Amino acid sequence: MMLVVSCTVFLIGLMGVIFRKNLLIVLMSVELMLNAVNLSFVTFSKMHNSLDGQIAVLFVMTVAAAESAVGLGLVIALFRTLKTADSDQIQMLRD
Amino acid sequence: MENSQQLTAMLIWPVLGSLIAWFVPKASQRPYALFISAVQAALALYIVAPVIQGGSTLQQNLPWISDLGIQLNLKLDVVSAWFVLLSGVVSFVVLGMKGQWFRRNARLYTSMAFFLVFAINTAFLSSNLIVFYLAYEAVFIPMILMVGIWGSSTKATAVFRFFLMSFLGSILMLVSIFYLSYFHFTKTGAFSANLDDILKLDLVGNPAMPWCFAGFFLAFAIKVPLFPFHGWLKEVYVNAPTPATIWMSAILSKLGVYGFIRFVGPLFPETILAVQGALLAVAAFTVIYSAFLAIQAKDPKALLAYSSISHLGFVMLGVFTLGKAGRTSAIVLSVSHGLTSAILFYLYHLVTERKEDVSLDSYSGLSKKYPVLFVCLFFAVLSSVSLPGTFNFVGEFMVLMSAYPVSALCTILAGIGVIFGAVYMLRFYQRLGFGPTADGETAGDIAGFDLVVVILILAMVIYFGFQPAIFFGGMNNV
Amino acid sequence: MNLFLILLFPLIGFTINGFIHLKSAKSGAKASAKQTGVIATLAMFASFFVSAFYYLQFSGMAESSRLIEQSLFTWMNLGSFNVDFALRLDSLSLLFTLVITGVGSLIHLYSIGYMSEDESPARYFAYLNLFCFMMLNLVLGATMPHVFLGWEGVGLASYLLIGYWHQDVEKVGAGQKAFVMNRIGDLGFLIAMFITYKYVGSLDLMVLQKATLNPAIAATIGFLIFFACTGKSAQIPLFTWLPDAMAGPTPVSALIHAATMVTSGIYLLNRISPLLLQSPEVMSVIAMVGVTTAFVSAIIGCAQKDIKKILAYSTVSQLGFMFLACGVGAFDAGVFHVMTHAFFKALMFLGAGSVIHALHHEQNVFKMGGLRKKLPITTFTFVMGWAAILGLPPFSGFFSKDEIIIQSLHSPHGNQILFIMALASALLTAFYMTRLLVLVFFSPSRMEKETEEHVHESPLTMTIPLIVLAILSLVGGFMHHSEGGHQDSINIIIASVVVALVGAAFGFFRYRKFDKEEITNAFVEQGLGFDVFYNKFFGNGVPALAKGVSKWVEELFVQNTIRFCSWMVQFSGNVLKSFQVGSMQAYLLMMVVLGLVLLIWVLQSMMQGVFFYGK
Repeated sequence: MMLVVSCTVFLIGLMGVIFRKNLLIVLMSVELMLNAVNLSFVTFSKMHNSLDGQIAVLFVMTVAAAESAVGLGLVIALFRTLKTADSDQIQMLRD
Repeated sequence: MENSQQLTAMLIWPVLGSLIAWFVPKASQRPYALFISAVQAALALYIVAPVIQGGSTLQQNLPWISDLGIQLNLKLDVVSAWFVLLSGVVSFVVLGMKGQWFRRNARLYTSMAFFLVFAINTAFLSSNLIVFYLAYEAVFIPMILMVGIWGSSTKATAVFRFFLMSFLGSILMLVSIFYLSYFHFTKTGAFSANLDDILKLDLVGNPAMPWCFAGFFLAFAIKVPLFPFHGWLKEVYVNAPTPATIWMSAILSKLGVYGFIRFVGPLFPETILAVQGALLAVAAFTVIYSAFLAIQAKDPKALLAYSSISHLGFVMLGVFTLGKAGRTSAIVLSVSHGLTSAILFYLYHLVTERKEDVSLDSYSGLSKKYPVLFVCLFFAVLSSVSLPGTFNFVGEFMVLMSAYPVSALCTILAGIGVIFGAVYMLRFYQRLGFGPTADGETAGDIAGFDLVVVILILAMVIYFGFQPAIFFGGMNNV
Repeated sequence: MNLFLILLFPLIGFTINGFIHLKSAKSGAKASAKQTGVIATLAMFASFFVSAFYYLQFSGMAESSRLIEQSLFTWMNLGSFNVDFALRLDSLSLLFTLVITGVGSLIHLYSIGYMSEDESPARYFAYLNLFCFMMLNLVLGATMPHVFLGWEGVGLASYLLIGYWHQDVEKVGAGQKAFVMNRIGDLGFLIAMFITYKYVGSLDLMVLQKATLNPAIAATIGFLIFFACTGKSAQIPLFTWLPDAMAGPTPVSALIHAATMVTSGIYLLNRISPLLLQSPEVMSVIAMVGVTTAFVSAIIGCAQKDIKKILAYSTVSQLGFMFLACGVGAFDAGVFHVMTHAFFKALMFLGAGSVIHALHHEQNVFKMGGLRKKLPITTFTFVMGWAAILGLPPFSGFFSKDEIIIQSLHSPHGNQILFIMALASALLTAFYMTRLLVLVFFSPSRMEKETEEHVHESPLTMTIPLIVLAILSLVGGFMHHSEGGHQDSINIIIASVVVALVGAAFGFFRYRKFDKEEITNAFVEQGLGFDVFYNKFFGNGVPALAKGVSKWVEELFVQNTIRFCSWMVQFSGNVLKSFQVGSMQAYLLMMVVLGLVLLIWVLQSMMQGVFFYGK
């Protein structure tokens, strides 16, 4: 049951990352995916009666915090230079 | 077989030369380059001399990525000895050439030149196929830089085609090499790309061999080049700065010849025998075909480029006889062609330096203004048309002689190329040297270092024309 | 005494004069013709004396033991293939050596006067010495490659000397034509060497002489060498270079294109005569080619206006006679004619040179005339040469030419056709030589006033060689013992002398009072279409073919292949580039889709149990 939920949340996050235009929402979707993974970790830890999964969750949360901080910083920097947070407008990976 | 530490010296010295060049002031780059290359040539002579005289073999094995069978297996025998010596001498001659390459980005030029020498020596000395391949490819780096930086205006296409054709060929060779190494693995349980190890395997009847042969053949046929793989050559030769042209025609083309003699012949005796008739025909056709191209060439440098292909056709004719006599003659002709074409391009460069206009029709009667230069050029032309008494004659005569019993028709076909050789080389000389002399200032005849080097090479060309015994002597001993 | 000395002196002369030339060319100062000429002439005389020494030595020896060999060094040596750089002197090569050094010395001497006003005499004499050096290599070489060295070397010297005045593009072109046509013949020589080595196992000429070969192979070798000889000795089909070669200075024409180089074909045929005798077919081909050349070029000679061209065609014709002699097996007669021809033809060329020198490079015989009084010595010696080439007794040509005509009928290889054509050629020869003689020296003057006033007899250095050669033309015939003892030989001799006199009389009366320019048939004058044909076929054909090759094969096929390769690379690059849209989310989508595809594929494989080996 919990796995189905985690899968659904993960897919929602993935769709958000791929299809939403606003970079902030994209970042939030990434968080959503991470949390979906965390959820499945916890579920598995419960099923197998081991603490490994919960330790991994702690790691993921730490990294997620750091990542969102860096991600936010980048988005702000981008917004400052390009005056937009719309991902369709940002095509600097080309050329 | 002796284990010798000397061989690494042949590789370390140019690397040092290449590195230190960055710390030498720009103004003294040329003396520096001359010094390094003179030592290199002397070193080559010192190491090679006993091999040539005694027919012995020097060997040195250094581990590298041994698990994958990649080692520095250096080996110097009579075959590679001549090529190493030739590259030593030619590099010395080339680096003495004055020109814009010592004025613009001089450090890069010297450094690249010695890197090139290093790569060439590695290719000639390595009997490990993968190391050979690496060196074979590494040659491109300095070559492309030289054409790209100091070449003439339309160099971009030239560089691109040069890279493309060569890369296309050698990448297939790499696949073949991997296969051979893997084949060694399946038979013995260890990877090895050492030629000697692979030759110990029983390769006869292996159905993959024709494909491996094709990979090697393509790589070397493009490098030499043989018809119809010569398409890249003209643009590159014409657009390259003269030192690069000399390196290409005198030495890099010999990498292809050497590859055929050293690798293709021993590795695929069965396949090569099966297609020998076709190979001989291709070689003979190359002679005639490029002679035709030379006849109609407008640009003297293109003419010399085509004549170079024509002579290499003779060399390949000798190689494809698959006999010892043919192979030896092919090596002799390789050396003589290296010297002759180097000196022809050198002298032509000296002419253009004095009159910067590049069409055969725009020159006239220069022999009157520059008598000594044109006497030297005439001797070089004579060697190129392989007049008896010059080194080229010995080579071409012996090649045709040993090719005749194998294929009379191809020999006669190639022989016709000798006639055409007279037509286009005389035309080349006559257009430059003869005809009405225009009035005007002269830029001064050939002198100094140029004169010394040119006379030195010409003396060799004529001396070996009468005394080629030293070439045959060592090989008779093998 | 060392055989190499014969070669050494011209080589030294070449080197010294070469350096003198370079020095003077660099400094811009003109080298003295006298000084350089003396060096070159002395070198030739020294060489002549060495040869004369050997002549004396030989005359004291039995005929069978007249052979001196000297190996200098090993030239090419690979496995069983071994060629020494060796000299060999026997009666045949000694005769040629004497002619080369003897006539050569005289012509060197003559050149001092002739080239006195030239710009770079040092270069001229250096080339001349180089020529003699190479020619001596040709006749003294013991092996085929050594002969080939001389063979190509004289071609080179000839090229340089024909195009000696290299500011004139046409003269250079004539030189190139000579070199290339010779090279066509040389290919025959090369292939003959390859066949010889394959079947005889040695390139030594002596071994080849003694070899007994399969007749077909003997015929092939013989024919190929004969082909080489047609190039060097200007026979059909490769004769058209010789008239053009007259672009060179006149002494050069006398030495190279009359007395020595062009006779090297006869030398070579003599060398391999045992081989030729094994194949009658080749012999008859040689005879036919020889006599046809003699006849055809005699016809062309009748229509020439340039004094040197007349002599050039006459040379071709006389060479045809020598080939005829070889073809009918009368090798000795051929060589004998080489010698007498060297004397009288060199004499006539030098005489012509004297005329040209006097008239300031006027060469048209119809602009001369009446020179008898102004140039007495030249006229007198020229008449001697004329008598010799006509074969009037007791001049040298009488002995050699008549022997050839006799042999063309009576030798086992001879027949009536050869005999009649030879007689007809003799008739024509008598006609056009008389035409030349009368037009230049005896008919009324057709010169311009201004030229006429400046006409003067040549200096002593030029007249001495003329006189010596005239004497040789007179007595040269007695140097050889004819064995002709056939019963009707005497009839043939009478017939040929009568034929010569008829031709001469016809020429004399036709041109005695000539005072205008003769209108000759242009087709005949231009060499019966041979030259035109070659020019069309090879002169234009080869460059056209080269252009065609470059346009259709190189551009269309080779270059387009490369263009296609590079286009392919660029095209695939462009195709792949279109995936690079730049939007991060698009990349992500691609990644996810491809990941899913991969996942499905892996899962499917797992179910079929092929992904892991274990299952």
